[in-house]
Amino acid sequence: MVERAQPSANYRSWPVLTALTIVSLPLLLMYVYLFLDTVTVKPPDALLPSGLTLNHWRFLWQTTAGKANIWHVTLNTLLFSACTTSLVLIVSSMAGYVLSRLNVPARGFFLAGVMVLHAFPSVTLIIAIFIVLQMIGLYNSLIGVILVKAAIDLPLGIWLMKGFYDTVPWEIEMAGVVDGASRFRVWRSLVLPQVKPGIMALGLFSFLSGWGEFILPQVLAPGNQVQVLSVYLAGFLADDNNYDFNMFKAVGLFYLIPVLIAYALFNKYLMNIYGGGSKG
Amino acid sequence: MKSSRTLGLVMIAPAAVMIVLFFLMPVVLTAVFSMTNMTTATGISGGVYQIAPNSLITLKSAMPEIAAEMAEPRYTIDEAGLKAVEGLGLAPAIAAELRAKHAGEVFATRRDVERMIKDLTERPSTREVKQISEQFNRSVLNTRFDSKEQLFSSLDGLGFKLTPEQKETVAKTTYTGWTWTTDNFSRMASSPDMARVLFNTVLYVALVLMLFNVGYALLLAIWTHYMPPTRASIFRGIWLLPRITPVVIYVMLWKWLAWDSGFISILMGRFGYPPKNYLLDTAYNAWFFVVLINGFIGASMGMLVFSSAMKAIPKSQFYASEVDGASRWQQIRYIILPQMRWPILFVTCYQTLSLLASFNEILLATNGGPGNATEVWALSAYHTALRNYAGNLEYGLGAAMALVLVVIGVVLSLLYLRVFNYGTLVAKPLIED
Repeated sequence: MVERAQPSANYRSWPVLTALTIVSLPLLLMYVYLFLDTVTVKPPDALLPSGLTLNHWRFLWQTTAGKANIWHVTLNTLLFSACTTSLVLIVSSMAGYVLSRLNVPARGFFLAGVMVLHAFPSVTLIIAIFIVLQMIGLYNSLIGVILVKAAIDLPLGIWLMKGFYDTVPWEIEMAGVVDGASRFRVWRSLVLPQVKPGIMALGLFSFLSGWGEFILPQVLAPGNQVQVLSVYLAGFLADDNNYDFNMFKAVGLFYLIPVLIAYALFNKYLMNIYGGGSKG
Repeated sequence: MKSSRTLGLVMIAPAAVMIVLFFLMPVVLTAVFSMTNMTTATGISGGVYQIAPNSLITLKSAMPEIAAEMAEPRYTIDEAGLKAVEGLGLAPAIAAELRAKHAGEVFATRRDVERMIKDLTERPSTREVKQISEQFNRSVLNTRFDSKEQLFSSLDGLGFKLTPEQKETVAKTTYTGWTWTTDNFSRMASSPDMARVLFNTVLYVALVLMLFNVGYALLLAIWTHYMPPTRASIFRGIWLLPRITPVVIYVMLWKWLAWDSGFISILMGRFGYPPKNYLLDTAYNAWFFVVLINGFIGASMGMLVFSSAMKAIPKSQFYASEVDGASRWQQIRYIILPQMRWPILFVTCYQTLSLLASFNEILLATNGGPGNATEVWALSAYHTALRNYAGNLEYGLGAAMALVLVVIGVVLSLLYLRVFNYGTLVAKPLIED
């Protein structure tokens, strides 16, 4: 028997469809025009484009005066999110396993602490972090921001990984332990492969959140040498002298493409986290 | 066997270290900084003692005479001054006589010292008297002292007769570094600006939470629930876009929509309205857009949570109700909503915290404007401490404001742990050893 596609078929669907389309219109409009405006010419007060051009993408091959080079900035962004992701993955896949399976002192306390931190207004800590980084001299360096960003993402990571470890049947570990492997070996070669979906989900989430992070780099590493794409684009927006929206949009689309690709490929993993995890 | 415990400690160590260093320590330091008057003017390390014009103004209210005396230069016949006089190339007898008869004397005014110099046996000319007296000008104004002792010994050397209490007052008012204080909290409690910001915050959280994070999310979930899967996933995909889009691009798109050269202006131009900045035009418009911008992001999480909760409702309940002739509204009212109680409570709790702490979108969209209309607590803390257009970044006050959010966050999340039954989350590990 073919499963019914929807819980109920005896209602007309077009009123709902229309309503939903109308409320979604601002979003559709914004994203369609985001793409359209980067490749077309449009007179200032027209709504529809009048011709094609690649001129808005000129930032790719020429550097705007007073701004950092786009490729340098992209590299920084990549470095920032890749380092944050690896740090979060390594640290939280270890800590999650400990909290799920091993008996350490103050385990309950640690779990409760992670839970409280996870629901914490972390971004308010930025003031103290700013002062501390200035004191110890890591201000305006990528290392400082990477460490801070990773620490802020950690509670979510630990909590998520613990959840995934909890679903792994413990017979697997028992078998390993009985065969004489050490607990570390058991974790490394038997348990870790079992939680691949969790690692994928956390890795993606962490990468995307690092890629889009704005306020931490803005406050802790604003210098041209260590600038990331979000700060670069915000600099464009704050520049009151020219509102070249089409060029902003080209930079924005350039910045958004990796996110869209990652989302299109892996959205089923990401749903795990967006359903119950992130803030906003 | 001890191996599992040791391994556990080793494996959890990196997480513990990172969380303590970059998460807990900043919380503690926020509390510490909130008890100081640290600003860019005081610096973040210790300061010096400097009798500057503005510290004299403060001092004037406490001890007017001494403040007035300090404002005037004093004349001390000291060795450095005598050396300088010798270097002037005047008659050598002048310096010699000054050293012999007047070394160590202090004159309160220029007239006193010049009278003394005129009375010297050598009788310098008026021009020379001025030159000589200048060498002994020992104003305390604008000199820097690295420690209290240096300040006091200098004051003593200039003949200021101060009691120990008065000295302490002088030291306190002339210190340029930060000091311990609880002023930040009394300022927060009494300032009308803060009351305004608090009101904004409550309004912002309540509006976004009710209209979008819960209300509209529920609507979206119900709408897509009744759709064929492909169509439903298209709409869910559209509404997830704001969440995955980096915040800078997302806000840029709204600005394109609402600015004076943006979409709405052009569209309204067709109907004869002059272009204007709809985002910052009036306080009402700014609020409208701030709520929309944040709401569109917030709606997605509620939508996902509610959708998966609705999927978990047994289909048979819907079929049975249809056989009984229930309308769609009755299905929603009597089947879906009663079973949504926990998801709604969860989303409400969770999003309250998120909204309290979020300010990226407002910062980028309106930056708290027009005026102070859309300034919320977290943004105000950020402005006070890190991006103050008055120039003086008030780290201490900003930290105190952040601390308020931290306290609210901790209290609320402890409450949630209670409500959502923490006990089941920390069940004992499966393999003990």
